[in-house]
Amino acid sequence: MNVLIFKEMSKYLLLILASLSFAAEAQEGPKAKRWYLPDHMKLQFAGGTGFLSGGPGYNSRNKKLETDFLFGYLPEEFGGDALITITGKTTYSPWRVALKNDYYLAPVSIGMYLSYTFGPQFDSKWPAYYPKGYYWWATAFRPGIYAGGKIGREVTMHSRRRGLELYYEIGTYDLMLISYVQNTGFLTPGDILNLAIGLKFAF
Amino acid sequence: MKPVLRFLPFVSLLFFSSCDSLFLYNPNQVTLHNGESNLNARNVAALVSQPPPDTLRFILMGDSQRWYDESEEFVKSANKHRDISFVLHAGDISDFGLSQEFKWVNRILSKLHVPYMTVIGNHDIVANGPDAYRKMFGPMNYSFEYGSHKFIFINTNSREYAFDGTVPDVNWLRKELADNPENKDMIVIAHIPPYDNDFDKNLEKEYGELLGNNPNVHMSLYGHQHSFNDGEYYKDGVRYVVTTSMGARGYLKIKVWKGGQEVERINF
Repeated sequence: MNVLIFKEMSKYLLLILASLSFAAEAQEGPKAKRWYLPDHMKLQFAGGTGFLSGGPGYNSRNKKLETDFLFGYLPEEFGGDALITITGKTTYSPWRVALKNDYYLAPVSIGMYLSYTFGPQFDSKWPAYYPKGYYWWATAFRPGIYAGGKIGREVTMHSRRRGLELYYEIGTYDLMLISYVQNTGFLTPGDILNLAIGLKFAF
Repeated sequence: MKPVLRFLPFVSLLFFSSCDSLFLYNPNQVTLHNGESNLNARNVAALVSQPPPDTLRFILMGDSQRWYDESEEFVKSANKHRDISFVLHAGDISDFGLSQEFKWVNRILSKLHVPYMTVIGNHDIVANGPDAYRKMFGPMNYSFEYGSHKFIFINTNSREYAFDGTVPDVNWLRKELADNPENKDMIVIAHIPPYDNDFDKNLEKEYGELLGNNPNVHMSLYGHQHSFNDGEYYKDGVRYVVTTSMGARGYLKIKVWKGGQEVERINF
């Protein structure tokens, strides 16, 4: 890895942290949290949505359902091509087990996402010079599913509850799934699954 | 806690046993491991290091797209032929133009007892496919000589370029056919046959005549149509031979010698 990559990545990290602190600051006012302000920010490594992806997210009232919007970037150094991806994802974590010292565990999470990758080589609608149905999938959009879990801690700072969670997700996407179900002799689950690791900052 | 502890070792086992890469950044990434680049040139080098026989035998297969189980069966069948020198893949290596698919097919075809060379298919041009193909296999148009033959590989997937007149590159083909000082027999290999609807109609005549007017071209090889086909399509002395797909579980065994050729259809 060279210095340039680090420079680029740290610039990107700073951007996310800046937007995070902006969102947090916006709540410091005397009024109650406004509805459109996010409940949390996530920063994710890998998972098909970029080398790093991050953005705001919202909780359901019972905190079992999270919906996130991620802006992802993959530098050419890590991906062979520089790619920008936006993703919407929703995660359901039905159980929460309290641990010592304000720690808790959500042993099972399941979820799905839809990503869009920018670039002239990717299509959401095939151009007119193809007969109808020539290719059946859109190359810009990628739906995927995943399962995982998370561990977190809640703290009270300045009479406000804040939280930090570390999560992992093991997932795959449509084109891999269809490849697998038609080739269970050659392909193993390990061939089509990938791991994502992420942090969630709740405020 | 307990179910988690039971679950974790299983998860880690799953990953560390059989995966290509633990982390995926984007389905369209083109990240290659050692030995996964420039495969056509490497395999040609492996081939030409062997002395050429007077009568050359090779296999033409194609359209492995999303037929991995069948492609493995193909390798088993192909390896039974002890007299072949190499295998040609007629394109549509992948279905979605993903480097992951190229890697899987390479994992399968590297089990062949002989080297294999590829030509690019229309499915390999989807999304980041062209970039992945160039990095993994090499240039889309290339050629090599072996014994008394010259093999010319050319991208004929015109529809992927909106029939803009650049594909196939007939000027490149003209130069390649002219560069034949030893008067070797020449075989042109591509994915889409010139009479197919996916071939640029404005280039069909010129392409056909380049082959038909050359006294050293007797045969041209293709895939794409997922069925066997064989005939002197333009009645000009050039035999157009099409192999079927891996899904149809068939391939061609081809025998060539100076001035002649024989084609055998094999199902597996």
